[in-house]
Amino acid sequence: MMDVLIETRGLTRNYGEICALKPLDLRVNNGEWLSIMGHSGSGKSTLLNLLGGLDRPSDGFIRVGGEDLRVLSEDGMARYRREFVGIIFQQHHLIPYLTAVENIMMAQYFHSVPDEAEARTALERVGLGHRLKNRPGELSGGEQQRVCIARAIINSPRLLLGDEPTGNLDHGSTRVVMELLSELRAEEQFTIIMVTHNHEVAAWGDRTIYLDDGVMVREELKGD
Amino acid sequence: MLISIIMGASVATAFLGLAGELSFRIAMEMRNYGANILVEPMAAEQGGFLSDADLPKIKTVFWRYNITGFAPYLFGVIDISAGTKREKSVVTGTWFARLLTSEGEDESIQGVKVIAPWWGLSGTWPEAVNEAIIGAALAKRLGVVSGEEVTTTKERRTQIFRVVGIVTTGGYEEEQLFAPLATVQSLLGAPGRISRVLVSALTVPMDDFGRRDPAGMSKEEYEKWYCTAYVTSVAKNVEEVMSGSRAKPIWQIASAEGSLLTKLNRLMILLALLALTAAATAVSTSLMASMTERSPEIALMKAIGADSLQIIIVLLGEILVISSVGGLIGYLCGEQLAGFVSRSVFDASLQPSLWLLPTAVVSAMTVAMAGSIMPLRKALAIEPVQGLKG
Amino acid sequence: MGALKLTVLILAWGGIIIVLGRGFSVNRLLLAVSNATGFAAGVAVGALLLSTLQGDASFAVAKAVLSALFLLHWLVSLAALYRSTGEGTTVERFQKMSNNPLSAACCSIAVGILAGTICSFRFIPQGGEVPLLTVVIVGFSGVCLTAFFFGVEQFVPKMPVPTAEVLMAIVVSFILFASSSIPRLDLFSPLVMKVMKLIHDIVHQFFESMLIPDHLFFRPEVWNYIGLLFGNRVGLWGGMLIWFTPVLLVAAAIRLERLPSVAHIRQGAERRTLLKAHIRERRTRLVAPLIAGVMLAAAVFQSRFPAVEYWDPKPLKVAATPSGSIFIPLTGEIDLKDGKIHKFLFKERGRDARFMVLQNSAGGYTVTLDACSICKPDGYGQTEGAVICYYCKTLIPLETVGKPGGCNPVPVPFMMEKNGIAIDGAALLNLWGITVQATNRVKGAAR
Repeated sequence: MMDVLIETRGLTRNYGEICALKPLDLRVNNGEWLSIMGHSGSGKSTLLNLLGGLDRPSDGFIRVGGEDLRVLSEDGMARYRREFVGIIFQQHHLIPYLTAVENIMMAQYFHSVPDEAEARTALERVGLGHRLKNRPGELSGGEQQRVCIARAIINSPRLLLGDEPTGNLDHGSTRVVMELLSELRAEEQFTIIMVTHNHEVAAWGDRTIYLDDGVMVREELKGD
Repeated sequence: MLISIIMGASVATAFLGLAGELSFRIAMEMRNYGANILVEPMAAEQGGFLSDADLPKIKTVFWRYNITGFAPYLFGVIDISAGTKREKSVVTGTWFARLLTSEGEDESIQGVKVIAPWWGLSGTWPEAVNEAIIGAALAKRLGVVSGEEVTTTKERRTQIFRVVGIVTTGGYEEEQLFAPLATVQSLLGAPGRISRVLVSALTVPMDDFGRRDPAGMSKEEYEKWYCTAYVTSVAKNVEEVMSGSRAKPIWQIASAEGSLLTKLNRLMILLALLALTAAATAVSTSLMASMTERSPEIALMKAIGADSLQIIIVLLGEILVISSVGGLIGYLCGEQLAGFVSRSVFDASLQPSLWLLPTAVVSAMTVAMAGSIMPLRKALAIEPVQGLKG
Repeated sequence: MGALKLTVLILAWGGIIIVLGRGFSVNRLLLAVSNATGFAAGVAVGALLLSTLQGDASFAVAKAVLSALFLLHWLVSLAALYRSTGEGTTVERFQKMSNNPLSAACCSIAVGILAGTICSFRFIPQGGEVPLLTVVIVGFSGVCLTAFFFGVEQFVPKMPVPTAEVLMAIVVSFILFASSSIPRLDLFSPLVMKVMKLIHDIVHQFFESMLIPDHLFFRPEVWNYIGLLFGNRVGLWGGMLIWFTPVLLVAAAIRLERLPSVAHIRQGAERRTLLKAHIRERRTRLVAPLIAGVMLAAAVFQSRFPAVEYWDPKPLKVAATPSGSIFIPLTGEIDLKDGKIHKFLFKERGRDARFMVLQNSAGGYTVTLDACSICKPDGYGQTEGAVICYYCKTLIPLETVGKPGGCNPVPVPFMMEKNGIAIDGAALLNLWGITVQATNRVKGAAR
């Protein structure tokens, strides 16, 4: 399964005068786990947003899973996001007044129809079977992040994006989350692209690229 | 937001509820003024009189079906005495409730009882020729009560009346003695004469066409004018059958009855609309703020794949639920408000009108929807990346 | 006004054709031909009915057929609701039928006959000989319309999985819509009356059986509610309930129909996607009952607010006998005993007068000028319970026709004879002259 899932050529994103992402050529294979490292403002989040269909490139070519993201309409982008991509946020971004299950069901609702049983199963799978009816405020950071993961994978995405998923977590929680992701990936066979500051976290990936000032400066394969 | 919807809906409900009630109340109050056409002799100053033989003709005129009632009056100053007290006073000869038969027409009852239903009468209406009712003020001065007799004198003609009722009107009528027309005619030595007729007619509101001078109209226009129940055309109608008469619309009332009501209704509806518009603006403003506040949430929805339609459905659904609740509460508040106003202004309780409930809820929803157009556009314009950062 | 009614019929017919064309999946030509044949036959049937049956009988027959159709519609939708709760879908069964050319053709012919009959009732005057030319024209234009609408039909989106009851609901609603444009074929008003009467009878029986005409224990509010039962609103709402229930049942049947199982798909997202597709498909099928409901509502509207048409016969020319009197027989060329106004025109030596004869509800006759004493002599038309002065649009109750005054038509003195009415011609002309003069005098007075 070494077919190409993501291909970008000369991918650029400018915010006014500021060039957040300089022309970037990147290929990611199906099922690969790619870590992106770089300090703040290096353009890694910009890249992630472009791949996740949250933002549009200023210039260049970007193709994910055979879909040319530049030509998609707004609603086409929305469809791409709900059917193809799952995103894990650093801030979790759970809806505060909905319970864990309801937060997951919301993702199901936007995708197709809500299914509570399936949402429960998904939460049990991330080890939160006992906290189904709790609101995000009543959960710890690690638990919140696991809800966020459950939500991200509920619609069986082919691409899972993580924007510093462990940025706010302590060492123990980080480990739990990373192990969970690894397990899920083994089951579901999705591609992971993860932005991180943490070398330890990046090491979970098959390959790590380093961005600096919008330019890819280094690429490391696992075991290098 | 809920508050503004409640406010808007309740004020609108109150106004609309009052509008219906008001026009009814005011129509009633207006009716209390009774007649809207005054028929007088053309040369009243020179002592002209109308003839009571012409009276039945009033029910044969073109607009006879619009004439709800009329009463003839003959006034005269007489000496009146009861027991030891003596006074100079006015006697009015009139019809109380007289069965009138005009040729070719159904019988009808005409007289004061018909055109002045607001008269408060303790006792009965006079039936026999020598029965009379007396104004409350006059009765007090003379110390007369129902069942007693009063003696009236005019130029040596004397007539004794048995008082069968005391009348309270709140007006000059309380200073008079009311007796059957024929009896007063003979007392005053004026057989067959009457001094004025008051006619109560249902009329259509005066408009520009109705105000025009009939003399300057073309034939077609004149026909149209004659064919419309303007108070002027009804008056002209009456004038034609009462020989030597001049019929004047009693303008204040005639125009008040017609146009004031429409104006008032229009004002009420306008106010209701204004209240709703204000509510819509308030809703819009508060929703705008709420959209800003909730922009991370909306951005998240977008990030996990909601398209514009889904966002609209979610937000509008929320708004509609809130607004229908607001409409319901607003309806209840508005009912109370209208009831309160009705009680304090008209001293009458208000019938709760159920048709206002759907009106209130629907208008609350409409207002909320109208107010949510701009906020929704704002919500749709939220960029997921920007929204999630903030 | 006539054109408007024409639109209704054309719309209904077009709707029926499009629905049939979209519903049946057999050869288009076969459908078109059977539809057109049915329509033409229907026109012929209507003409035959109208010419052979006396009085209202032909309308009664057509109404009976329509009622039977409505009843059938009720039964079919009840059955549909019953079936929908069971296993399997009704779709497969219908697919067989809709692919069967014979059943499709039969259905189209039957529907065509109905529609054609309704159209013919609109165009062919009742009684007397049938204007053959009209029949041919109506039939032919029906066939042309059929062809036209089959052309249009191709551009209409395919009906999502039609079933027999849905098809029936739509066709019936279109037919009722068409029939409601003809007041005497309208089903809804009689339905309302029936419901009202039924409820009254039931309530009445209830009190009879209690043998207490005025129950003292009832509080005034209770009486208010009982009074509600006697209001004429009850008939309307009850009628509406009966009218719309079949369509609601069909809609409920669709809504209750089980969705195809998606349990065999293990992956959650895929399963839900399929489920959503099924739900969406079921929802689109609800469009059909919705259309049917809208058409039924339109029928109700037409029935409640019929386009007002005035009965205004063409004045018949009459002549006076040598003695100067005009004699109008009660029966014969014109039947005066039908409670409608009949207009006549009398001309003599360059002067003319229009007058009308009317039998009032008491059975007596009145003769009046076709003019009132004030308005321009534009004449009168008859509506329900009243005549209207065309000039000033005043409604004059029928029972007051013959009384002078206001905008009432000016009464004409006449002699009631054994089998007719005699009017003095000269007096009539003079009266007309005075009336018209009087109108002129008003003009003079105004100047």
